[in-house]
Amino acid sequence: MKYSLLIVALLSTASLLNAFALSDLFGGSDDEASSLEATPAITPTPVSIANTPTIEPIMTPSSNNSNDNLLTQTQRVRVSVVGQGVSPMNTASPAQAYAMAKRAAIADGYRIIAEKVKGVRVEGQDLIENMMIKRSSVRTSVNAMVKNANIVETTYKDGLCEVEMEIVLSYIDFSL
Amino acid sequence: MRSRDGDRTFIYRFFFIIFFFSFALNASEYLISYRYVVKNSTLYNENLDISRAMKKCDGVEQEAISLRTDKEINLKKIISNNFEEFINYIHKLGLHIKHKDKTVNLEHTSTTILTLHTTCFKVDINDNLAKITPLK
Repeated sequence: MKYSLLIVALLSTASLLNAFALSDLFGGSDDEASSLEATPAITPTPVSIANTPTIEPIMTPSSNNSNDNLLTQTQRVRVSVVGQGVSPMNTASPAQAYAMAKRAAIADGYRIIAEKVKGVRVEGQDLIENMMIKRSSVRTSVNAMVKNANIVETTYKDGLCEVEMEIVLSYIDFSL
Repeated sequence: MRSRDGDRTFIYRFFFIIFFFSFALNASEYLISYRYVVKNSTLYNENLDISRAMKKCDGVEQEAISLRTDKEINLKKIISNNFEEFINYIHKLGLHIKHKDKTVNLEHTSTTILTLHTTCFKVDINDNLAKITPLK
């Protein structure tokens, strides 16, 4: 009888300690539990397991946001960029310098549009000898085809030409 | 009855038919390509190549551009007189972009190449205007 009472007492203290340890690990205070309960649409889990960490409710709102960025049939996306170009040092006239800088700025604008819409390929390489970096290189490349881009505004100052360009993307451009 | 000099009307007809067909077949179709290179944000090289098509082009007519001819009948001269307008039009048609960027030991170089691949254009030249239509 004595031993049985002792065993019961030991078991109860062990379970109490275990419960405290779990609550410390997961940070499950009463306030946090109530905050999780306040969003029933995100966490449909019952209250008894609210203290256990779940990843799904955290991912759900972000996945909804990513759906907002998708191109739908009724939606249009306007991409606006600013390309920069520099005039060469040896030009015959200021007009030629402006024309060449503008051409370079347009190419830069096209490049940025392609980067935003299609993406960039990035490759990096580090050469380390005797625990020291000897050569570090990063290469990026873009391959794309851009049509119907419009020039919105052109500014030229001190040999630098800035061209604001925009392109409107619609669902039908990609569905054909 | 044939004359001693031969059948002149027949010869005239023959040459007229040859001349007419040679003019009608390929004279109004041109192949145009455009390419320019930008290195380190500075224009490095620009090429606009125009040549007559040696065989008939296939394709559907796209959006056309009309350039002022100023009584000129040579397409190269017409385009060089309206160069900026034509280049802007080519940009609208669509250009292929090839960009490479390299950073070695914090030293940066970049090359951007914009290309209009060789495209067949139908050209109708009138007294005042040249209508240039791409075929794709």
